[in-house]
Amino acid sequence: MFLIKKSDVLKIAEELGKEYQLYGPFVEKTSGQTFFDKVGSASEINLGAPIPSAPPKQSVFPQMERILSYKYDSAKKSVEVKPDFTVTPKALFGLRSCDLNGLLCLDRFFLGQEFVDEVYRNHRRGMFIVTNSCTTPFKQCLCVCMDSGPFAKEGYDLNLTDLGDEYLVEAGSDKGKMLAEKMGLKAAADAHMKQKSEKLDKAITLFEPVAVDNKAWISRVINRVTTGFAKEEVWEYVGDQCFECGACTFVCPSCSCFNVVDVNDTACAGCTDRLRSWDSCAYEGYARMAGGHNPRKPVEDRRNKRFFCKLSYSQSKKYLRPGCVGCGRCQWVCPGDIGIPNVVTYVRREITKQG
Amino acid sequence: MSEGMINGKIVTIPEVATIEEIKDEIREVKTFYLNFDKKEIKDNLKIKSGQFIMCTIFGAGEFAVSLPPSPENDRFHITVRSVGKVTRALHALKPGDKVGIRGPFGNGFPFAELKGKNIVYVAGGIGLIPLRSSIMHVLQHKEDFGDVYVLLGARTPDDHMYKENLKEWQGGVPGFKCFLSVDVETPGWKGEVGFVHTLLDKANIPIENTVAFVCGPPVMFNTVIGELMKRGLSDENIYSTLERHMKCGIGKCQHCMVGRTLVCTDGPVYTFRQIKTLGEQI
Ligand SMILES: Cc1cc2nc3c(=O)[nH]c(=O)nc-3n(C[C@H](O)[C@H](O)[C@H](O)COP(=O)(O)OP(=O)(O)OC[C@H]3O[C@@H](n4cnc5c(N)ncnc54)[C@H](O)[C@@H]3O)c2cc1C
Ligand code: SF4
Ligand code: SF4
Ligand code: SF4
Ligand code: FES
Repeated sequence: MFLIKKSDVLKIAEELGKEYQLYGPFVEKTSGQTFFDKVGSASEINLGAPIPSAPPKQSVFPQMERILSYKYDSAKKSVEVKPDFTVTPKALFGLRSCDLNGLLCLDRFFLGQEFVDEVYRNHRRGMFIVTNSCTTPFKQCLCVCMDSGPFAKEGYDLNLTDLGDEYLVEAGSDKGKMLAEKMGLKAAADAHMKQKSEKLDKAITLFEPVAVDNKAWISRVINRVTTGFAKEEVWEYVGDQCFECGACTFVCPSCSCFNVVDVNDTACAGCTDRLRSWDSCAYEGYARMAGGHNPRKPVEDRRNKRFFCKLSYSQSKKYLRPGCVGCGRCQWVCPGDIGIPNVVTYVRREITKQG
Repeated sequence: MSEGMINGKIVTIPEVATIEEIKDEIREVKTFYLNFDKKEIKDNLKIKSGQFIMCTIFGAGEFAVSLPPSPENDRFHITVRSVGKVTRALHALKPGDKVGIRGPFGNGFPFAELKGKNIVYVAGGIGLIPLRSSIMHVLQHKEDFGDVYVLLGARTPDDHMYKENLKEWQGGVPGFKCFLSVDVETPGWKGEVGFVHTLLDKANIPIENTVAFVCGPPVMFNTVIGELMKRGLSDENIYSTLERHMKCGIGKCQHCMVGRTLVCTDGPVYTFRQIKTLGEQI
C-alpha cells in the first residue's frame, strides 16, 4: 500500500507512458463526451471524467482488425500466409471496476476453454492495469448488483482510491508493487485502509438506490433465466421492443461476438487481408446460413439471445458470474428500452405475477 | 509443429494444401482431393468421423466443410456444393491450385459407445457427405458392429452422391445393406420412388439395440426423426450433425451458437435428445 499526492497522481501514468502504449479516460472538447482510448501524453487523462460512453474493450478487441494476411500468386501457384499478431504492450490507466470486470469476462471467454484466441492474447499480453475506485454513481450504474463494483477486487496491477488530498495506491501484482517502489511512493498506514473501507461503505449506500433492481432480484432473475423458467412471453415482448440496431452489444464491455471477412487489397495483386470485426446477435444476418436458411429468423428468437447470453449461457453457466457487469450502457443506448435493468424488471414482474 | 497448432489442430493460421484431383459428383457438387504441402502436417493430422474443417479459398474467403474421408487409410478430400461466393470460387479452381485448411474441429461420432449396435444411416441429398466418413469406418470395422443400413434419398437418380461407394455398399457385404430412393418417377429408374423415410419400411430396419444417424435438409430431418420415433427408436439413439454459420471454428465468434452450445466445439454431432433441449429451430 502506498500514497501519492493528488496533484501527482498522473505521474504514475507518465511513468507507464515510457514503456507502454498509454490508454486513459479523457473528455473530448467538442462533444463533451468521455472516451477511454489511446492518449498522446499522461496530461490528457482526466480521472474525474464521467463514465466513458464506450468501454475500453477496443484495447484488447478492436472494432476491426487484421488478423492475417496472405499473398496468392495464381500463376506460380504459390501462397504466403502471414499471421499478424504483434502489438505494443498497453497500460490502461484509470479504469473503472465495472470495465475491469468486463475485461475479465473477455479474458475468461477468449483465453479459456479448449482453445486460446491468439489474437486476443497478444493484445492482452504484458498489459498494465490501473483501476480507479468509483465513489459517485451515475444514473444507470448497477455494478453493485452484479458484484463488479464500485471498487475493484482483483485483476489490477495498481488500484487508486481518492482519499481527499491523496490517493491510496494498492498493488495487486508484483509488477504494480515494483512500479510504486521504483517511483519512491510513500508507504500507507492501516488508517488509510480504514479510510478506504469507510469510503466503500458510503459509496455502496449511494449506489444501491440508483441500481434499478437490488441484488436479490437480479440473482433470482438470473436463476430463472438459467433454469429456463422465464416465460416465452417475456422474450416475445423483448423481441417486439428491439430495433435490431446492435448498439447494446457494441457498448457492452463483455460482448465478444465477431465476424470474419477476407478483403482483397486493390493496390497489390493477390494480396488479401483477413479482418475481424464486432458483430451482434441482434442482426438478422447473424445466424443466416448459405442458401438463405435462417434458424433464428423471428426477431424474438434472436433478441432473447442477448439476455440468455448475459444472464445464463455464456458466463453464468460456464464461469459462474453473470455476463453483465452492470455498467448500464445498454440502458443508455437502447432506443427500445430493453437494457439489462429493464429486462430484469420484466422477468421480475413475471415472477411476481406467478406469485 | 506448425506455429498455429494447438492439440494437434490447425487453429488460427491456415495450412496450405494443393488440389490433386477434382471429381464431379452430382449437379453443383464436386469432390476435391487435397494434399498438405507440409509433410509433417499430413503425417500428424488425425481426423474423427463427424468432424469438419475450415477451408480458405485464397482471395475469396473461408467456409466450413465436413470431412468425408474415413479416419483410416483414405485420401484426404472434401465434397462441396457450389452455393455462394466462396464455394463458387472453389469450384472454379483446377488441380495444382492451393487452398488453406484449419482444423479438424468438432466432437465427432461416439464410436466407442456404439460397439455391437445396429446402425441405420439416413441421408437426404448431400446429407451423405458428413455421414460418409462414419460409414467407411464402420465398413472397415464390420466385426465391431451389428447390422448396418444406409438409406439415401435424392430428387432424381442423378442426385445420388458418391456413386462408386454406393455400388460397393450395395454389392453384398454381409450385414451391410444400402437402399436408394428418388422423390419422383424418373425414366430408367427401377428402384424405390418416394421420400427417403419410405425406405425405413422397405429396409425393415431393426429397432432393438439400434442407433440412427440422420442428415439432410430440415424438412427431411424432421420427417425422418418422426418416423424413427414412431417405430420406437428413442431420442438418445438418434444422432445428427448440425450445420451452422461458422467463422472461427474454435468457440470464439459465437456465430454457431445453438441454445447454450456452440456447434463448432460442442457439436457438430448431437443426439436428438440434445437437439430437443437446445430450444431452437433446426
Ligand atoms: C459443420 C458444417 C459442415 C458443412 N459441410 C459441408 C459439406 O460437406 N459440403 C458442403 O457443400 N457444404 C457444407 N457446409 C455448408 C458450407 O459451409 C456452406 O455452404 C458455405 O459456407 C457457403 O459459403 P459460400 O461463401 O459459398 O456462400 P455465401 O455466398 O457466403 O453464402 C450464401 C449465403 O449464406 C450466408 N453466409 C455467409 N457466410 C456464411 C458462412 N460462413 N456459413 C454459412 N452461410 C454463410 C450469406 O448470408 C449468404 O446469404 C457445412 C457447414 C457446416 C457448418
Ligand atoms: S451473443 Fe449477443 S449478447 Fe452474447 S456476446 Fe454475442 S453479441 Fe453479445
Ligand atoms: S449488459 Fe448492459 S449493463 Fe451489462 S455490462 Fe453489458 S452494457 Fe453494461
Ligand atoms: S440497443 Fe436495444 S434496440 Fe438496439 S439491438 Fe440492443 S436491445 Fe435492440
Ligand atoms: S464457429 Fe465461431 S464459435 Fe463456432
